[in-house]
Amino acid sequence: MAKPGDHDGPWDDIPSAASLNPERALYVSVISPSSAAFEGTAESVQVPAYDGELGILYGHAPMVVLLGTGTLRVRGAEGERRFSVSRGFLQVVDNRVSVLAEDIEALETA
Amino acid sequence: MAKSRDIYRRMRSVDNTRKITRTMEMVSTAKLRQAQGRVIRARPYSQHLSEMIARLSTPELAELQPLLRQPDEIERAAVVLLTSNRGLCGAFNANLIRAAQAQIKELEEGGAEVEFHVYGNKGISYFRFRGVEMALARNDLSDRPEPTDAIDAIDDIAARFEAGDLDAAYIVYAEFRNMVSTPPATRQILPVSVGEKTGPQPFYILRPSAEEILSQLLPLYVTNSVFSAMLETAAAEQAARRTAMKSATDNAEEFLNKLRRTYNRARQAEITNQIAEIIGGADALEG
Repeated sequence: MAKPGDHDGPWDDIPSAASLNPERALYVSVISPSSAAFEGTAESVQVPAYDGELGILYGHAPMVVLLGTGTLRVRGAEGERRFSVSRGFLQVVDNRVSVLAEDIEALETA
Repeated sequence: MAKSRDIYRRMRSVDNTRKITRTMEMVSTAKLRQAQGRVIRARPYSQHLSEMIARLSTPELAELQPLLRQPDEIERAAVVLLTSNRGLCGAFNANLIRAAQAQIKELEEGGAEVEFHVYGNKGISYFRFRGVEMALARNDLSDRPEPTDAIDAIDDIAARFEAGDLDAAYIVYAEFRNMVSTPPATRQILPVSVGEKTGPQPFYILRPSAEEILSQLLPLYVTNSVFSAMLETAAAEQAARRTAMKSATDNAEEFLNKLRRTYNRARQAEITNQIAEIIGGADALEG
């Protein structure tokens, strides 16, 4: 398992099938200009990127991607949380996912 | 005889003032706590945003971004001053006004034509009284600024900067360091100054491209720096008012104590006087 900060190459952190345990969680923060809408751990994040939906799992390579407008889904142990987002970007590094967007609105959990 | 009553009247007046200042102190303490919370909650966003911009920008990319254009000479500049709508907050507004004047003077000495945007009644009335021309004077900024307020304030300036109509923009605001220290500060908004890159640089996948991301994020960064200046000024105003009202209350207290002592002394002197008169009167009757 790669240690945080250990980035020899972009493909080092791809999870193997045996590694899907709860300890391999993403740390997610969803931040708007006036406050943090969500901070916590999650198994996966599904995000509306500028060119379509994008899924993030544990071990994703460091990435910065522009957001489009749509629904951000954060799936964790307590279920799924949804936010409508637009105008922002997403950053993944060391299994920390930060979603920054000008407009963020929490949606009712489906 | 009338002296003690005069003093009593003054005591009542000081006491009433003290009640008002103490109430205002408590009100601004409560408002300060909320405003401070807003400042703190807004920090992660600015932090992430400026880090990201510092990471993405390279000298080659910077030349392509109109918001990063470094003009050789500043010919036209905009200065945005944030002041409060209400007074009774000590030297808060005076400090901001002085900082703005210093900035304008510096720009004008450099040969720039300055256009002046003022927010808040206190700044507006100061400059209107002195006949200073203001390109924009608004007093409708609430003490709970929203991101849209920042967009309103800067969008036009940013567009004109991109078009080359303006060469620089500054905002004069109050920095909220802590509850007691709220010094005025001047921040250059345009051209955007990119911070230093910090820490190791992970290999990022950039989509669609660094250039595209940068051109989307820079306008957000510009608005955000105005927004955080607005939040800080709102918090700093409450902090300044709280400090001013606290010292007013303390002064009133001290003054009241002094008056109470003088009053008691006058009252005693009066009683002594009356007793002396009564004794004197009785002696005269007996004699």
